[in-house]
Amino acid sequence: MALSLSPSLLGGVSLALVSCLAFAVQAQSTTPQPAQVQPAPAPAPAHAEIPALQATAPSPDAPDPSLSPECRVPGSKLYTLAKLKAVKKALVEHRAVQVLTIGSNSGGLGTAATYPVRLEDALTRSLPDIEVTVESRGVSGEIAFGAAERLRNQVAEIEPDLVVWQVGGNDALARVDIEDFAQSLAETVAWIKSHGIDVVLVDPQYTASLAKDDYYRQFVQAIQKVAEREQVPLVQRYEAMRYLAGRAISALKGDTAQSGAGFRLADLGYRCMAEHVTRAITVSLLQPDVAPVPATPVPAN
Amino acid sequence: MREPNAVDFWRGIALITIFINHIPGNVFQNYTYSQYGISDAAELFVFLAGWSIGIATRGRDGVPEPAGRTVLRLLSRMVEVYRAQLVITAMALAMLAGAALYLDNPLLVEWHNAGPIFSDPIQATVGWVTLLHQLGFFNILPLYVVLLGLAPAFVLLSRVHLGLAIGISVLLYAVSLVFEINIPSWPVEGHWFFNPLCWQLLLVLGFAAHEWRRSSERFLAWRRRLMPLGIVIVLIGAVLSWFNLRPDPLAVPEPRLLFIFDKSYLSPARLVHFLGVMLAFQAVFGLIQPRARWLTRQLAGLGRNSLAVFSVGSVASLGAQLIRFWTGGGIATDVFVVGCGLASLSFTAWFVEWRSRSPRPSSAA
Repeated sequence: MALSLSPSLLGGVSLALVSCLAFAVQAQSTTPQPAQVQPAPAPAPAHAEIPALQATAPSPDAPDPSLSPECRVPGSKLYTLAKLKAVKKALVEHRAVQVLTIGSNSGGLGTAATYPVRLEDALTRSLPDIEVTVESRGVSGEIAFGAAERLRNQVAEIEPDLVVWQVGGNDALARVDIEDFAQSLAETVAWIKSHGIDVVLVDPQYTASLAKDDYYRQFVQAIQKVAEREQVPLVQRYEAMRYLAGRAISALKGDTAQSGAGFRLADLGYRCMAEHVTRAITVSLLQPDVAPVPATPVPAN
Repeated sequence: MREPNAVDFWRGIALITIFINHIPGNVFQNYTYSQYGISDAAELFVFLAGWSIGIATRGRDGVPEPAGRTVLRLLSRMVEVYRAQLVITAMALAMLAGAALYLDNPLLVEWHNAGPIFSDPIQATVGWVTLLHQLGFFNILPLYVVLLGLAPAFVLLSRVHLGLAIGISVLLYAVSLVFEINIPSWPVEGHWFFNPLCWQLLLVLGFAAHEWRRSSERFLAWRRRLMPLGIVIVLIGAVLSWFNLRPDPLAVPEPRLLFIFDKSYLSPARLVHFLGVMLAFQAVFGLIQPRARWLTRQLAGLGRNSLAVFSVGSVASLGAQLIRFWTGGGIATDVFVVGCGLASLSFTAWFVEWRSRSPRPSSAA
């Protein structure tokens, strides 16, 4: 790491985060990416920390203006929050943050950059002066049948500060028993956390043809319950994509029958994922150390 | 066709086990032996491949065939396996894409790591044709391709001295394990699901077991004597597996791959467990054969035609997964898809042998 640890730098980083988020929330412009603000050369507070900034937390019900227009979703439909102790500690100590993404690395059809590259860019923009590196691994197989074991070995191989895990895709398509899956997921998340590594879960995608599939909805809800119980942030990709799909339908004046709509939405989901994950991480970092974890919103059926 | 023998019989069992385990969540999965131990059918498959190389590279009289012929034989088999891998991967991709279109479900094109082939086709096409990008469950044949590429070296070394072949194999295994060396996957970050640099040891051990069985009385005596040890290992494996006990990969000392249970690197625990399984079950074929001839004939038929049966099984298991997804699963669906799958494996074995028996019209287009 190029930068050494000093109180003024810590202050600078804290202020950068403050201003970044404050700017992001207040600005009503159509900034395409999370706001980028250079740290102000201000005098450092005596005990610099990542500040608790509830005042600047985005309004949960309005589309989050810090997201690029095509990805704009209200916070309440995008994430549930929890503390990210390991990342916060790394920020306070001003050392590099290593992120491991698990799951698909698609950044959308024909895009120049894959999702891990976009995530690294977005996180680097949101956390100026902190070196963020993102490694990625795909997962073969199902969490309920052995993939959880391989995932542990991947985590041990890389020893990241944060695991961003797109979870459940293979299991949901294989229609494994939801309880078996949830138990395996909870055990794996608890194991990762027990080693001082943060976890952010990303639930599976929404698509219209599965909107009425009870199993799939219960599956998504099971992930939300695990995230709540294990106190890890969750990127509600299902809810967010459903919101985006609804917006697309109203934009098309009810013309839902257009062929390929599901595929375009899936593509949009991948384009937005890096931004959405970054937003969930940065807002989670603002969680106060003492306050209770906010209740998980009940997913709409 | 050769008479049913233990190698073909066990290979048939491995093929059926792999087929069933490749339909995750189906009810029969709970009854495959993979659920009751820390190694599984993949080990059996590779070990028996080594054993078969031992048989194939000697003439009927037991004399080793000329070196040049051995090399050509193994390399031509490698080409055959590579061709099979391309065909089944292409079919799998078309099945996933077709199902995604038919069911209007874009999630299906992301299943089993297929995503990059559709979202990033330029890189991923190079990836899957060069075997650097593998679909989930379609990763055994790439291993086999590399093993067949390495096999001539080991077979020829063994003709100098079998110990030399085993020594080099163990060394390669140990170095790969300690330094975590594996073939990278591409364009997606990561590594091969089955690391050939480690799994080659099992191939060489299978080959060596065949050589010793031919020539060493001591080997046969020790194999019998160690059977109780094998049973103990199997029991320990069953307990570990049943209670889901395994080392914490972040808590073991370095080099951690020596201590954890890892399939990609065939970690020592899996290897020991598999050798235990071999010792424990060595007499089973002899017991079953006189009592259930129809069964052994069927299983050995699958084993004799393992590449064709495996290929059809891979495609059939993906088909079964798609049907389970589409219908929502359930026991009736499982009975149907597994039943149809087993019938298609059996038909494949029969068909391949029928075709090789029948005179082929060479000029027919």
